[in-house]
Amino acid sequence: MENENRDKIIWGAISLVTLIIIWYFASRLKSMNMLVPNPIDVFKFLYHGTYEPIGTYSIWGHILWSMSRVMVGYVLAAIFGIILGIAMAWTKTGEAIIRPFYLMIRPIPSIAWIPLAILWFGIAEQSKYFIIFIGTLLIIMTNVADGVRSVDKNLLGAARMLGATEKQLFHKVVLPSAVPQIFSGLQVGLGVSWATMIAAELVRSSEGLGWIIIMGQDSVNMPQIYGGILLIGIVGLIIVTLMRGVESSLCKWNVRGR
Amino acid sequence: MKGQFKYPAISILSISAFILIWYLVTAVFNLFPVTMLPNPLTIVQSFINKLFSTVPDGGTLFEHIWASLTVALTGYIVGILVGLPIGIAMAWFKRIDYIIRPVFDFLRTIPGIAWIPIFTVGLGIGLTAKAAIIFIGVFVGTVVNVYTGIKQTNEVHVWVAKIFGANSFEILWSVAIPSALPYIFTGLRVSFGMAWLGLIAAELIAAERGLGYMIQVARNFGRPDLVIVGMITIGGIGALLTIGLEMLEKKVVKGN
Repeated sequence: MENENRDKIIWGAISLVTLIIIWYFASRLKSMNMLVPNPIDVFKFLYHGTYEPIGTYSIWGHILWSMSRVMVGYVLAAIFGIILGIAMAWTKTGEAIIRPFYLMIRPIPSIAWIPLAILWFGIAEQSKYFIIFIGTLLIIMTNVADGVRSVDKNLLGAARMLGATEKQLFHKVVLPSAVPQIFSGLQVGLGVSWATMIAAELVRSSEGLGWIIIMGQDSVNMPQIYGGILLIGIVGLIIVTLMRGVESSLCKWNVRGR
Repeated sequence: MKGQFKYPAISILSISAFILIWYLVTAVFNLFPVTMLPNPLTIVQSFINKLFSTVPDGGTLFEHIWASLTVALTGYIVGILVGLPIGIAMAWFKRIDYIIRPVFDFLRTIPGIAWIPIFTVGLGIGLTAKAAIIFIGVFVGTVVNVYTGIKQTNEVHVWVAKIFGANSFEILWSVAIPSALPYIFTGLRVSFGMAWLGLIAAELIAAERGLGYMIQVARNFGRPDLVIVGMITIGGIGALLTIGLEMLEKKVVKGN
């Protein structure tokens, strides 16, 4: 087992180094240098960005802007998603009321809301919150509803037989058994929030990680675009990993079978 | 009999109430300016008009649909054709797994949308650039799903095949791939969603044709009715193609 782990690390390191070397040589080719900048320039850009402002803020400022947008949209979506998802799955009347809207809105990609959001809220922060909210809400709702529906029927039957009221049934049986699914919805939702935030910033913004790469596009500055993409990937990875840590420490009793 | 119709009736009521309130606040009480929320009848009218009219974005609805579909399907199909074999190879051969996996673990954290500026600068705003944007998203998604599917192959089945003298290639072809088919199809569906989303994003940012471009222009002209027509069309086509993929899945995947 240890051998296998060591192999994995070695091969992983070899693979990343090879990638950077290939990247370097690709950037030297005449036919590729429109698409691929020199990796050294990209790292230089990132290094300078940590203390010199790009636009109005340094890299840290842009990261904070992007994260604040994600947080507002995401937290709102999580609250409404959990409530609406439970309402949709637990009572038949709730399902009958909510489901038609859910079915109508679900196929519309979150990004297609951007123009409407701008018409409604202007180009201020609210339109970005709204887009992130809409994109994340449906994902979380879907997962929460699935979790509530997949409660073990035997457990429900047993609790009923022992005289549990509907309220007790919900608190003691349904909610605990749906928690892992709810968390997996929150997890996927966070990734979606992150991606939607980038899209919203690409279309309209004056700061943030999405802004860095769109400014790179407008000024044909390839190192800036690549640097921005690297940042988006790294920060996204850190956020998702943190969330996974929260999940596994809160849900220790339930190891998800995935 | 009564109970049977109760819930559909509630559904219909809830939708009608929504449309009625919408109509009242827009057409009767005029609470919102027309540049924010049009009344629902205007939307129906704009939809019918847009079938023939090229105002204000220089294309009829069908022309935009066609433009979007060609780009989305080109990127999608190429992404799958390249992603499938790489995903299978990654899952089946340990060495390839070790080498390529770290790269993918990083690539999958980058949203497909973030690639837009690279291809817009490098390849312009034509079909190639947009197809390339979609290709990247679909490619990464397909590889990840196929990989997961093949990795889930039941080991007992592999042992049985080995006992009966199957070589590695035969096991892959007649045990691992068939058992991974449900995952592969899930991957195809998820990737299609990503392709459609990526396309709309690309068209919002830089394009001169397509549904995303249409709603962007409509916004600039302050025409929320056309924006909503575009959104409904985008959602409708996405839903139709997803249903198509689900039907294909039912035909191909056995014992599900």
